[in-house]
Amino acid sequence: MLEHHPIKRSPGTRQERDQLVRTVCQECSVACGLLVSVKGGVIVDVQGDEDHPVSRGRLCARGTAFVQGVHSAERLTAPAARRKRGEPYKALEDWKSGVDLLAERLRQVRDRHGPDALVIACDRESGLDFRLGARRFARLWGTSQVFDAAGEPLDPWPEGLDSPTAPCTEWIHSECLLLVEADLAASHPVAFGLIQEAQRRGACVVAADARFTATLAKADVALRIRPGQGNALGLALAKLMVAERGLDDRAPEGAFTDPAAWRASLERMSLESADAALGISGDALRHLSGLLAGRRAVTVLTGRELATRPHHRIWLTLAKAMGWVGRSGGGWYPVDAGTPPLAVEGDPGDAPPTQPDRETSALPELTEGGRVQALVCSGDALAEWVSPFGGVAEQAELVAHFGAFPNATWEAASMSFPAALWAERSGLFFGGDRSVEWGRPIVEPPAGCRTGLDFWMELARRFGWEQRFPWARADGLADHDAFYEWLLARSPAAVGVRLGDVRERSATARCFWPAGESAHPAALRSAALEAHPAPASLASDGAVAPGYPLALATVSSSCRSGDASRFWAWTRTLASEDAVEIHPDTARRLGVENGDEVLVETPRGELSARAQLSRAVSTSTLGTLRRVGGLPALLRKKDQSADEARALLCEAIP
Amino acid sequence: MTTHVRRHLWLADASRCVGCFGCEVACKLEHGLPGGPRTVRVVPVGPRGDGDALSLSFQPTSCCHCDRPACVLACPTGAMQKRADGIVFSDLERCIGCQTCAVACPFGVPQLNPATGKIAKCDGCRARIDQGLWPACTLKCPSGALMFGSPTRVVNQIRSQEAVKVARSFGEQEREPV
Repeated sequence: MLEHHPIKRSPGTRQERDQLVRTVCQECSVACGLLVSVKGGVIVDVQGDEDHPVSRGRLCARGTAFVQGVHSAERLTAPAARRKRGEPYKALEDWKSGVDLLAERLRQVRDRHGPDALVIACDRESGLDFRLGARRFARLWGTSQVFDAAGEPLDPWPEGLDSPTAPCTEWIHSECLLLVEADLAASHPVAFGLIQEAQRRGACVVAADARFTATLAKADVALRIRPGQGNALGLALAKLMVAERGLDDRAPEGAFTDPAAWRASLERMSLESADAALGISGDALRHLSGLLAGRRAVTVLTGRELATRPHHRIWLTLAKAMGWVGRSGGGWYPVDAGTPPLAVEGDPGDAPPTQPDRETSALPELTEGGRVQALVCSGDALAEWVSPFGGVAEQAELVAHFGAFPNATWEAASMSFPAALWAERSGLFFGGDRSVEWGRPIVEPPAGCRTGLDFWMELARRFGWEQRFPWARADGLADHDAFYEWLLARSPAAVGVRLGDVRERSATARCFWPAGESAHPAALRSAALEAHPAPASLASDGAVAPGYPLALATVSSSCRSGDASRFWAWTRTLASEDAVEIHPDTARRLGVENGDEVLVETPRGELSARAQLSRAVSTSTLGTLRRVGGLPALLRKKDQSADEARALLCEAIP
Repeated sequence: MTTHVRRHLWLADASRCVGCFGCEVACKLEHGLPGGPRTVRVVPVGPRGDGDALSLSFQPTSCCHCDRPACVLACPTGAMQKRADGIVFSDLERCIGCQTCAVACPFGVPQLNPATGKIAKCDGCRARIDQGLWPACTLKCPSGALMFGSPTRVVNQIRSQEAVKVARSFGEQEREPV
């Protein structure tokens, strides 16, 4: 073994402080350890926690910049209301009168349009307590239209649960890491540090993405695939490695319920159009499959987007078939997979919900169908993904905003409730490794700001549901400890995780869910996996729609997380939401130059943006920081007609 | 320069940098800077090239703390100074914000801090290193692209890193994948 002793780090702060708070950063799912110095209620320094097993003292831009959100002069600090948008907001006396007014307006909407007219949209920053409180409130109200960030359903975990993910600290033992549409270098730089460490130890890093990301730049093998085809890559690899090479003897005995049928489905699947569907050559694909098949400890990391598309489960099937799962440094790691399924809605003895859960219409259908009359949105959910092209707020009778900043959702709303940020509240935080962390408040929230659980508890009181939100302290505010204790006790996925242990854990002994194999609930554990069957052929890109020759893709940035990051002066100019990445060749066709004002048309609406020429995107793709990725698009200059632009682009892109 | 004072080396290894801007923000918090001036600056280079043969790199840059600093010579008030350990810094009590140093510097390092009307520039985290602490940017860097230590130690670090790379490449050749 090669011995190498790195320089000893000298961590610490030079600032004087009254208090040192050890907590975890909640800007992304890595949950890096923080040591925050506080003096007189103000954060004076943030350092990484050297003892934290993942971050080891390192922090990305977000892990420091969050301080600017906490102490921002732009924070909202009082509930406010107005008759209609456009008028100035009037500050309300206190939270009680604000919630009274909201309850009254909600009642009016229900009387006129029924309970289904309410949609609740939660951004990630609002906290687990807001999202869970929303679901509990919605069940009592009689709607299941609660949407999590970017319109995805909550709790997608059960899919991966039968194959517990090894923590990211295991990556350094990998022989090969395959990152599919996961730009970890930009979205989770601290976790990417572990991939770089594995690479230095000899691991081969392979990255596949539609965009030439920082992750691709650092990979040993970089593959540019067509947008949205990540799961198709998994299918093609499964075909090549399992059906053609016959390596499925590596899979442990009884790994699959019907291995023969799965193998047969792979054999039937045609790879004839694979290069057209994936955008990479057959040779490159064969080279990759050879590279992976030659290694035993392979970790596959798949991006969050893949979970929302068909055939996501092929990755778990493949990892299991190749014998990667359960091996040190091997397995499948779905990035940002979310929280475990937490039983928050009904109580024992409740009547079943009027509508089956998760059978709600997709968000665009709801918002475009004009059925939405009341919206409760946290953060900038409305402008970010509920209705990024506008329209819904104008039709709806009521839009209520729960957030910390005067953002675009606040501008479209008629009521606003000031929220506490994660650094100001205590609560559970579920990290990407299936780790359970306790977020300690670093500072007190500004007077007038409340947590998400406070918001829902106060509102539930107006409808006589206080018994269903029984976590009030003597001062009427929410007791988060009691809430999370109640939650863990009744959620099968969290069996064996005790709040006391999570709160008192040392930095080096993290808690994971489910706690130990014995606590793994039988219903969620499956000895034999149902292998994901392969389709007849790899479908080519479905994102292309007639009249829209381009595809719009969402780009990740290490400087942007939730709504608060819009208000960080330190990073605001480093990643602009107004910019749209355009390939220089595409720009030349249209006569667009760097910095020009352009319009991006999609079937759902139009965005105006500033051109940023970059070879990171392909000639048929546009990149934006806004969460509107996956839509077909047309680009034109401000003074160009849509037909003119279409003609110019279609010449270039067959 | 005197050699008996302990000197430090700040080294940026662009092959490791992933362009997360952690160093830039760490510096802002440490020195209480506003959004504008970038005393550490990560410069993305690329993506360059054509088709699939693209390359993209990130170059972290900061003050070179020159041996013969033009900014120190140019400063009319004597605010810009070079310490015995090599650090070039501006004494903000004496700085009048005239930006002569910014003009004199061949690398465009000194910038105006619009919040104070004075110069913002890397001071090598002198207050931190005087207490035996690493500079804020190096400590937080997630990729290990920024290195700090005595010149001997940093050079040793690079040598052993390269040695490990070479040794591993021999290992790779023996275990050629299928």
